[in-house]
Formats: sequence, structure tokens, C-alpha cells
Amino acid sequence: MAMETGEQAAVAVSHTRDDAPVVEASHLCRTFGATVAVDDVSFEIRRGEILGFLGPNGAGKSTTLRMITGLLAPDEGTAKICGIDVSHDPLAARQCFGYLPEAIPLYVEMEVADYLRFVAVSRGLKGADLERKLAKICSRLGLEQMLRRSCGTLSKGFRQRVGLAQALIHDPQVLILDEPTNGLDPRQIIEVRQLISELAQERAIIFSTHILQEIAAICTRIIVIHSGKLIADGTAEELAGEGTTDWEVVVAGAGIAPEMCVGIGMAEGVPGSPGETVHRWLSDVPPDLGPLSRQIEQSGSSLIRVGPGRETLEQVYLRLTATKGGQR
Amino acid sequence: MKSILTITRRECGAYFGTPIAWIFIALQIAILSFFFFQFSPFFVIESADMRVWFGLTPFMLMVFAPAVTMRLWSEELRTGSTEVLLSLPIRVPELVIGKWLAALIVLVASVVFSFGIPLTIAWLAASPVDWGPIIGGYLGTILSGMLFLALGCWVSALSQNQVISLLVGVFAGIVLVLVLSPDFAMYLSGTNPTIARVVESFGIQSHFRAIERGVLAISDVVYFLSGSLFFLAMTVFQIEMKRQ
Repeated sequence: MAMETGEQAAVAVSHTRDDAPVVEASHLCRTFGATVAVDDVSFEIRRGEILGFLGPNGAGKSTTLRMITGLLAPDEGTAKICGIDVSHDPLAARQCFGYLPEAIPLYVEMEVADYLRFVAVSRGLKGADLERKLAKICSRLGLEQMLRRSCGTLSKGFRQRVGLAQALIHDPQVLILDEPTNGLDPRQIIEVRQLISELAQERAIIFSTHILQEIAAICTRIIVIHSGKLIADGTAEELAGEGTTDWEVVVAGAGIAPEMCVGIGMAEGVPGSPGETVHRWLSDVPPDLGPLSRQIEQSGSSLIRVGPGRETLEQVYLRLTATKGGQR
Repeated sequence: MKSILTITRRECGAYFGTPIAWIFIALQIAILSFFFFQFSPFFVIESADMRVWFGLTPFMLMVFAPAVTMRLWSEELRTGSTEVLLSLPIRVPELVIGKWLAALIVLVASVVFSFGIPLTIAWLAASPVDWGPIIGGYLGTILSGMLFLALGCWVSALSQNQVISLLVGVFAGIVLVLVLSPDFAMYLSGTNPTIARVVESFGIQSHFRAIERGVLAISDVVYFLSGSLFFLAMTVFQIEMKRQ
């Protein structure tokens, strides 16, 4: 049986062009009783993309991911992975993705090697191919020393790696990760982010998070979900470009001393790009460049740019999620 | 089929790799042996049968089968490992049958470990052993065990809490063994013979007793097999419902 689905999946994958979307969510809707968890969410992802699924807790991120994996049936809409509808041919679709749920549920009594072998055999791998893929994924995730440890005795970081290994063992086209850095220490978070960036070269990755720095650090694209609705879809720059803040004055070096700022009508500086300091202009009227530039030069610095400020990702997020019901 | 065996192998590892299966086997054999040697007329008249042993078997299974099956789904639902399990390319009926088979292997192991009792009887008894009822008794144990374990699987899929699964499983077993019993049917037969017949035919005891006597009727085998199938189908339905 597993062989059959593997072959079906292989056929489906071979028909997937490089530029064709590997995940297509189309008008997904889902209610739980009277609560609308996901409301008409549509998006596509292509190979090489890292899609950050951003939203407050309870926004509908996990529900959307669970509908894409087929773990939850949508009330309306369809989800396709590698062109296969997850409702119509779930077994073939499941061969095309690896999924790491938020809780990283491992079988505590099993040794790491046995657990990964169980997942691999369930996914139709066998013999030399299984051993080769197992060795490859364990080497990539640094699990070689842990193979004989039982899953119940692993630290959170290694649990995460074993969870990633089970999701990756069959070398899927799509990797779906539900809050993969939750509960990890800073070093582990950096490692997981690096790993996700490396893995994305060969596949599409969707991961949900409510941590903004994570999105900014690795995602090529961001989807913001709020109250079950998709309220933004684009790169960090595109989303930031949708809104502007007050005027800002960018100067070289460490910026203008606070007491000088008051005289000019600027706020205290905050670090901007490397070697630059950004001061917010306190008036609604744009600054007059000539006098401003002279005053800045008198204070020992130099003016780089004056213009409307770009929103930070935090500001974008707060703006998008502040409105009631996610309606813009 | 291959997927079923993969699941069965994993579940057997969880049973036999931890003390669960061994405690189940040891406890069941210890309790049955105690009652057997305490209450059987074996040492008095050296009777070469196991009627006391098999007389107690449905009552033992009523408690022990849910104890074996309680973890099968409840534990997975509690930890969330069903999320990974259901994202594997394995059909839900294959998952259900695979898990049920593992529980059945634990039961078969306990049956095999208890073969010492009939061998002891054959060795010590003055009269020759009538193997028919003993083989029938073991067959009845396996067949009724299949039904109890399928029932336990379904109950386990209903709750994330293993204790609730155990208690509901025991309660359902009590209904099958003690409520739908020949004694209760006899009590009803005076007032409502139709209900009495239904009660007896749905209960486990009347079918078990028939097989235990060494009479293997198709109707009794069909009862156990269809009952097992019914509860396995209910388990599949219950797991599929979690997608809805």
C-alpha cells in the first residue's frame, strides 16, 4: 500500500513544474460550533519559499495548517499539495509533505533510531534507501550520538530535532512546521532558523509563529492571519511599504546628542542601519533641509536622508492586527 | 497489510519493551492460577479439566482487556502523537487494526504462558485428559478476547484520559458479561421470553460457554468476529470523526 502511494506521489511530483505552486490553499473555511476559526483563506507557495504564518495566539494559524495537512476537514475550500487534493487522495498527498506539530509528540518509550525507522517504514521506505536517508538526516540534524537514547529522555532541543527528522526523513517537497522554535533556548532557536533556511533551498517551507523576529530573520514571504482572516500577504518590505510613519531624519554615526535634538525638534536617536542613527521628526510639517543639515553638521555629524519613515515589522503587525475582526 | 504490521510492531514494542505486557500476563496468570488451585476439585478428585479456569476467564477479560487497550488511543490523543500518526500515509482502518492486533498478541502471549496449567494437569491427573474442552476454552478465550479488545480500542478512542478509558471499558465489559448474562436471561424468561433470548444472544457468556464445552458452532464464532468487527469499525469512525 505504502509503495503504491509513494509511486503515485512520485508521479505527481514529477508532473509538478519548478515554478508551479507546491501548496495551494483555496478559500479555506472552518468553523467550530459558532466560532469562525478560519474564514476564506487562500494562498500559494512555490519551491524555495519560506512562508511565515504570523498571527496572534488563536488567530487560526494551526487550524489552517491542519487543514492543509488533511488532519482537519475544511467546511469549504480545498487544499492541494504538489497538485494533489488532500481530501481526495490523502495518502498520496501525505507522501509530499512532512509535518511537525506544535507539541512535538514523540513516543517516549522508543529509542530515537527506532522511532525514525518506524516513521520511515510507515512512509514506504525500506532497505538500503531507508538506511541511507536515516543516516543523512541524522547527520544533518546532529542526531548521530542520540540514536540509542529513548525519546523520553531527550532535551527540548533534541526533541525538536527528532521531530524535524521525522518530518524530513522521506525528503518531502513541502515542510509544515507549527511554531518550531517554541520553548527553545536562543542558541537552539538560531540553529533551527539556520536549518530552515538551508532546507528551503530544495523545498517549500511553511511555518507558523507569533514571534516577529523569527519572521524577519528567515522568511521570504509573510502571511498575517487575524481572527481567521488572511489580512496580509507579501514580503516584509512589501508589508512595511503599505504604511508609513512620521518623518524621520537619518544621520551618520552615533547621532545627535539628546540636548541638541530638543533644539532642532527631533526625538532622541535610535540605531538604524549599520553606522546610522534614526531620529523621529516631531512636527507634522516636513523639516527644511538647508537649516537642518547645517545644524547637524555643527553638532559634528552629517545628514544622510530625510523622509517618511518606514514601518518596522512590529508596527506593521500591530497596525494589521489592531483593527476589530481583522477588517482593514 | 504492510502498514498494519508496521503499526503492530511498534505497539508490540511499546507493550513488551515496557512492563505493561509482562505485568498483565503475570497478574492474569497469577489470579487465575490462585482461583484454579483454590477452588478446583483438582487436588480432591484429581479431575482433569480446567472448568474453573475458563469459568473465570470472561470475568478476567472484562477487567484486563480494557487495561491493555486503554493506552492505545487515549495516550496518543493526550500527547498529540495522533497528529504525526495521521499525517503518515497509512489508512485509519490499518492504524486501528494494527493497534488492535498488538493488544491481541499480548493476550495470545498470556494464553501461551498459561499452557503450563493444562500440561501440569495432564502430568498429575489420574484419569486421561479430555483435551476438547481445554482447546475449546482457549479458543473461546482468544475469540472473546478479540471482542473485548476491540471494545477496549473503541472506548480508548473516545477519551484522552486513560483512567476514563479503563473505567468505561470495564463498565461496558460488565454489561456484556454480567448484565447480558444467562442468569439474567433466565430471570427474564418468565416474564418476557423474547427479551430474554435477545439478552442471552448479545451477551458474551452464553457464546463463550458453548465453545468452552468443546462445541464450536458457527453462530458463536460469527458472534465474536462480527462483534469485534463492529467495535473496530466504531473505532475507525471515531478517529475519522476527529478530522471533522
